[in-house]
Amino acid sequence: MLKPILLVEDNPNDLELTLIALSKSQLANQVIVVRDGAEALDYLHRRGEYSQRSPGNPAVVLLDLKLPKVDGLEVLKEIRTTDGLKPLPVVMLTSSKEEQDLVRSYELGVNAYVVKPVDFTEFVRAIADLGIFWAVLNEPPPGSQKYVRPTK
Amino acid sequence: MEILQFTSPRAHLHMNPASSVPELDLSSCDREQIRTPGSIQPHGFLLTLSGDMEVLQASANLGDWAGVSAQAAIGRPLAEVIGEGTARRLAPELGAKLGPRPYYVGTVTTANHRHFDVLGHRWDELTILEFEPTERGAAADFRQLYSLLGDFLQKVNGAESIESLAQLACHHVRAVTGFGRVLVYQFDRDGHGHVVAEAKQDDYASYLGQHFPASDIPAQARQLYALSPIRLIQDANYTPAPLVPALNPVTGKPNDLSFAVLRSVSPVHLQYMRNMNTLASMSVSLMVKGKLWGIISCHNEGPSPVPFEQRTACEQLGQLLALCIESREDAHELQFRLEVRRIMVSMLAGLTQGSNFIDNLSSVFPELLRFARASGVAVVVDERVLSFGDTPEEDDILGLVDWLALQHHGDIYHTDHLSAAWPGGEKMTRNASGLLAMPISRIHKHYLLWFRPEFVHTIEWAGNPHDKLVQASAAGLPMQLSPRTSFAAWRETIHGTSVPWHGGEIELALEFRTALLGIALERAEQMAELAEELTRSNKELEAFSYSVSHDLRAPLRHIVGFADLLIESSGNDDGERRMRFLKNIKDAARMAGKLVDDLLSFSQMGRASLRPADVDMGDLVAACIDKLSLETKGRRIEWDIAPLPVVHVDPTFLHLAMYNLLSNAVKFTGKQDPAIIRVSAEDRPDETVIHVADNGAGFNMDYVHKLFGVFQRLHRMEDFQGTGIGLANVRRIVERHNGRVWAESVQGEGATFSFALPKHESN
Repeated sequence: MLKPILLVEDNPNDLELTLIALSKSQLANQVIVVRDGAEALDYLHRRGEYSQRSPGNPAVVLLDLKLPKVDGLEVLKEIRTTDGLKPLPVVMLTSSKEEQDLVRSYELGVNAYVVKPVDFTEFVRAIADLGIFWAVLNEPPPGSQKYVRPTK
Repeated sequence: MEILQFTSPRAHLHMNPASSVPELDLSSCDREQIRTPGSIQPHGFLLTLSGDMEVLQASANLGDWAGVSAQAAIGRPLAEVIGEGTARRLAPELGAKLGPRPYYVGTVTTANHRHFDVLGHRWDELTILEFEPTERGAAADFRQLYSLLGDFLQKVNGAESIESLAQLACHHVRAVTGFGRVLVYQFDRDGHGHVVAEAKQDDYASYLGQHFPASDIPAQARQLYALSPIRLIQDANYTPAPLVPALNPVTGKPNDLSFAVLRSVSPVHLQYMRNMNTLASMSVSLMVKGKLWGIISCHNEGPSPVPFEQRTACEQLGQLLALCIESREDAHELQFRLEVRRIMVSMLAGLTQGSNFIDNLSSVFPELLRFARASGVAVVVDERVLSFGDTPEEDDILGLVDWLALQHHGDIYHTDHLSAAWPGGEKMTRNASGLLAMPISRIHKHYLLWFRPEFVHTIEWAGNPHDKLVQASAAGLPMQLSPRTSFAAWRETIHGTSVPWHGGEIELALEFRTALLGIALERAEQMAELAEELTRSNKELEAFSYSVSHDLRAPLRHIVGFADLLIESSGNDDGERRMRFLKNIKDAARMAGKLVDDLLSFSQMGRASLRPADVDMGDLVAACIDKLSLETKGRRIEWDIAPLPVVHVDPTFLHLAMYNLLSNAVKFTGKQDPAIIRVSAEDRPDETVIHVADNGAGFNMDYVHKLFGVFQRLHRMEDFQGTGIGLANVRRIVERHNGRVWAESVQGEGATFSFALPKHESN
């Protein structure tokens, strides 16, 4: 069983676009969607709504920077300061390359920082590359499907 | 010309090693011991007594007057020197009554049948008795004195000026003493004298209006004048009568004769008198506010005795004149200061008007000129010079300020002879001989400068005061100190000086400076507030640009993304999917528009100024609800509006804030049926509080600190639409009214948003 990808995204349009991009990348991983930072932490900590979920961390967290209640940086910070969550790969997804966000994210130990490209094709490629690297290459779980990039 | 009280004509020679030309230092007269001449004038005699009336010293001329030689008198009881009966008569007066100043003890007749007025004082640990011969055998008659003073007092009221008062006094003193010339002589701050009034016999030369250098009356003499009210030299050709023995037996030192009326004066001074063709002179001190203001100076070509009662009359006249001068000067001073203060107050009123301190100063330039009776004024702030009136060139002013900054003059610097203090002042003597400089910052080189033009004037000296040295050195070695011999008027033209600054002007300038610094300080506080405000706006601006880059990019990306997908899916038949993409594109476009609108309104709010008015909150809420009718159409909303107060606020801004809160309440009660929205007011001592409560979704109190931030959302976009700007606007508006906002909620049960407006803002 592949570890799932945790997608933290509040904006419905971004959510739809990201899901489409992920599906286009043909990753076999399940995608868990949460809609704000608080919910993401609930999922990771297996509490609240997610107290009953089976244990285990996702393969990667795709984290939007701007989120209601608890923003992406706060989620990242908590991940990096919580035992058991520390090694979790986190990819920050954001609309812009504001330097302050970039600096802060790397300070907090983000694994990758992706500025969502305006062009959808590029967006799909970026999401696919991310998924391949973090969900598959980085930590190939035993018995998992080998990913073969589709030829165009 | 004055009664110089030099002691001995010891020449003070200072060898100049370079040229070996001796320099005569007349200022050394200042150091002469004029109080201990060791002798008296011989027109009377002097005895010093022990406590038990034993004669300790006698003047050498005792024999001439009393028929007992000085040597014979020493060690004898007073009674044996002046007669038993006379001594007995004096005895009761010589006890505790005697003080440090001569006191009329009585008129006595000695054993040799001569009459004397006797003055006694205790000084230098001795009883000093001075005997002046008189024609009458009875006590002095002071009736003449009363009528004289009465007459003077009567006329004083009619005198307009200090000069006419002094003139009056001259006439009276001349009438009493019969001296050929009586004048009133006023000292300036440097000790130079100026003749302000004169009464004289026709054939006497006039000194009216003339100036005499300070060295004519050395500082030591001026000090003594301040202590003792009157001095007389009856005959400049006298031969001094030394005291026998020469030293005070009690102290073992030369007798201090400071207050002895017969005190002998310096031969130099006697020479000075003879040079002036004056054999008798008398001077009366004019003490104004505890300082030697001037003297009444009397001259006579021939010797002239002035009996004790006449001297008393002159002394009294002098005191009266001094009192009158004091009150006139006080009145002038008061009037002057009142006027300067009036100008200062009107300036200060002008200075607090605008926000730019320097511009404010320049707006009161004409008053600044009048304030200091200046002809030019300049404000220097760093390298910027603002000037008004007749001032030096800008570069010269900057040079002057550089010099001033190095001098550490303290709160204020003033001079009426700038070029003497600073060589750079030479090229600006025409319009800046006088300078009053006021630093207006403790840290920076900021100055307020007043300039006075050169006042070229002529001083008429009684004799060339600069001649003294020439005459003395011309006499060759060994040099005898010789007072000047010429009193012919000698004109001197004074360049490079201005009219001096008045003490009142300097004091009020200091006061003005304090007030200015106060204003500047207040200004600084305002600046600090402004800076704080700016910091806050800056933060908001940062948030603004941050949001532009994040939030405005998102809808654009969505539009492009869904458009790409739409094109991609054009081949297949999934119409529903295409419709959704189209709807997403439309939503994203609408969102982008709304974001732009909100961002603009938010940024405008920071800039627009408040125009507060009395606003009826009830009307305002009603207007908002009316405006919301489109959004509330088809919904059941119970509006519960309590009576609301009138507040003093900017109506447009507050309308926007109220609208945002009500619109929020409408939005977050979208799932309630019925929705209940309550608006109420609370009257607190210092503030008016407005609450907007709803039964809507509410929010998690954990995130309440983010609630009023720009572009902060606590809900999913699809649950509740919005850009995240509404509450940021509310906070901004309320804070600009110096109020505060807060919110409370129980998630799922509703929320209450409140704001408080301070009452002191209203009027």
